[in-house]
Amino acid sequence: MTILEVRNLSKVYPNGTQALKSVTFSVEKGEFLAVIGLSGSGKSTLLRCINRLIEPTSGTILFEGQDVTHIKGEELRRYRQKIGMIFQQFNLIGRYSVLHNVLMGSLGSIRTIDSLLGRFPASLRQLALQNLEIVGIADKAHVRADSLSGGQQQRVAIARALMQEPLMLLADEPVASLDPATSHSVMRYLGYINREIGTTIICNLHFLSLVREYATRVIALKEGEVVFEGAPTDITEEWFRHIYGDEAVEVEIQ
Amino acid sequence: MCGIPMSSIKARAAQFAIDWLAGTYLVAMLHRILWAEVIMGVPIPFAWGGPESASLIEGVPDWLLYLTVGSVIAAFASVTKASLALVVQGKLPHSSWQRTVALHQGALLVSLTFITGWVVTKISLVDMFSGERLQAAGRIFSSMLQPECSILPQALNAIVETVYLAFMATVLAVPASFVLSFLSARNLMKSKFWTRAVYLSLRTLTNFTRSIEPLVWAVIFTVWVKVGPFPGMLALMVHTISSLTKQYSEQIEDIDPGPLEAIASTGARQLQIVWFGVVPQVFIPFLSFTIYRWDINVRMATVIGLVGGGGIGTMLNQYQMLAQWHEVGLIVLVIAGVVWVMDYVSARIREALV
Repeated sequence: MTILEVRNLSKVYPNGTQALKSVTFSVEKGEFLAVIGLSGSGKSTLLRCINRLIEPTSGTILFEGQDVTHIKGEELRRYRQKIGMIFQQFNLIGRYSVLHNVLMGSLGSIRTIDSLLGRFPASLRQLALQNLEIVGIADKAHVRADSLSGGQQQRVAIARALMQEPLMLLADEPVASLDPATSHSVMRYLGYINREIGTTIICNLHFLSLVREYATRVIALKEGEVVFEGAPTDITEEWFRHIYGDEAVEVEIQ
Repeated sequence: MCGIPMSSIKARAAQFAIDWLAGTYLVAMLHRILWAEVIMGVPIPFAWGGPESASLIEGVPDWLLYLTVGSVIAAFASVTKASLALVVQGKLPHSSWQRTVALHQGALLVSLTFITGWVVTKISLVDMFSGERLQAAGRIFSSMLQPECSILPQALNAIVETVYLAFMATVLAVPASFVLSFLSARNLMKSKFWTRAVYLSLRTLTNFTRSIEPLVWAVIFTVWVKVGPFPGMLALMVHTISSLTKQYSEQIEDIDPGPLEAIASTGARQLQIVWFGVVPQVFIPFLSFTIYRWDINVRMATVIGLVGGGGIGTMLNQYQMLAQWHEVGLIVLVIAGVVWVMDYVSARIREALV
């Protein structure tokens, strides 16, 4: 069953940069889709267009069959709640505790006044601890987020996204600022969430070795266009050169 | 049209305008200050309304003459490239004669400005160091060095008024500045047309109110609510609101947009996005700015009394009018002591915050 359908999506930034050129693809429920391509190929823009952090210039986005390209206000908020997102720079609030950061994922579902006064229901706190359990750092719940290592911070970010009980998870270069060992640990948690909870995942990635290990399908962007779509094993040497340019050499992440 | 790009025409026009202005200024200062005042000893007022006879050419106002000569200099600069504007932009090659000429023109301009400043401020070493004047200096310093301690309780009462005046001005300004700073932060307000309009009008308003010094505000408020600490507090408050709004909003513009994006992506409401995405990042700097502003306000509050704004300044003003220099000496000591303590305490608190 198709969960997301992107049709002829284009994005032109105000400065004239064409980040996306008529991008079309669809994602099946339960897939782990990797998006690859050079820096500046439009991967981040694509992810942000899907949850409308960036407004696409033209094209259509269908989520569970519903057109979400132009929804606004309350409708847009409810749509975003169904989609978790994690970022290269983790984007936690450093001064807050880990638990408080995870609770940020449930802001959309509680009253504004309660959230401003810090009144999160006990059930949500319980859920936050459970989600920290899933990513293996429940013991850090009460330390400041900025005292954690990069890999731990990314796991907190994953737990924050899980608070939304998302149908789909967008991951924008989730391991690009991490060392190889930590990268695998974070990717394994994403894989676990994909297989065990059944969350659909769209993940921007740099390393093909990670793509081959974790993704079920790949699309490649080059200068804003989809130039490849297929299984991770289909990326041959020739395709690799086409996507990354003739000078490129594949680097393994162990 | 004629093959010259628009940008180049603009640059040439700007260059001409700068040279014209500099040339006119040069000629005017040469005539009015160096010639009339320094050499001939007959000062001519700067603005219009000088005696007709002072005109260099009968029937022609001097300023028209200056502008004409200035335009000739600019035209010369434009043709030969011996231009002050070009040399300032670093566009003239080293060791070219044009650069040498322009640099000399610049040096002349700077020295003339210095001479003008000297003449206009009526700097006089004779007034400062003649025997009679030194005696007067001795009188005031010796009386101030023997402060009259009997008015100490009165002075302490007045300085307490000053410190609290500064405190209230700061405390009352903080909530207003807090709200206004979000509305005048470009990164939060650039998205829609109407928010941009709010941003621009608030920026203009705070820039305008900030350019009026608290002392001037105090003059305005003493007319409005009568003399005393209250108008002094209002004056400081207005200035504090515009200053803190600027500092706060610049801090907001400096934040990492990442957490904002992350919280927006969870489906949070606008207020929640700002509250959790911005406030934790700016809280400590805001606190630090606020304490520093209180410190500044205590200093300002000591002088605001001079124009009727209450506190120790008013007291100082009274004793100065009566020429009771021993009392003035004590007041100056009290002010120095309190400002020094405030400075020290605020610096320590701000250090601890970082």
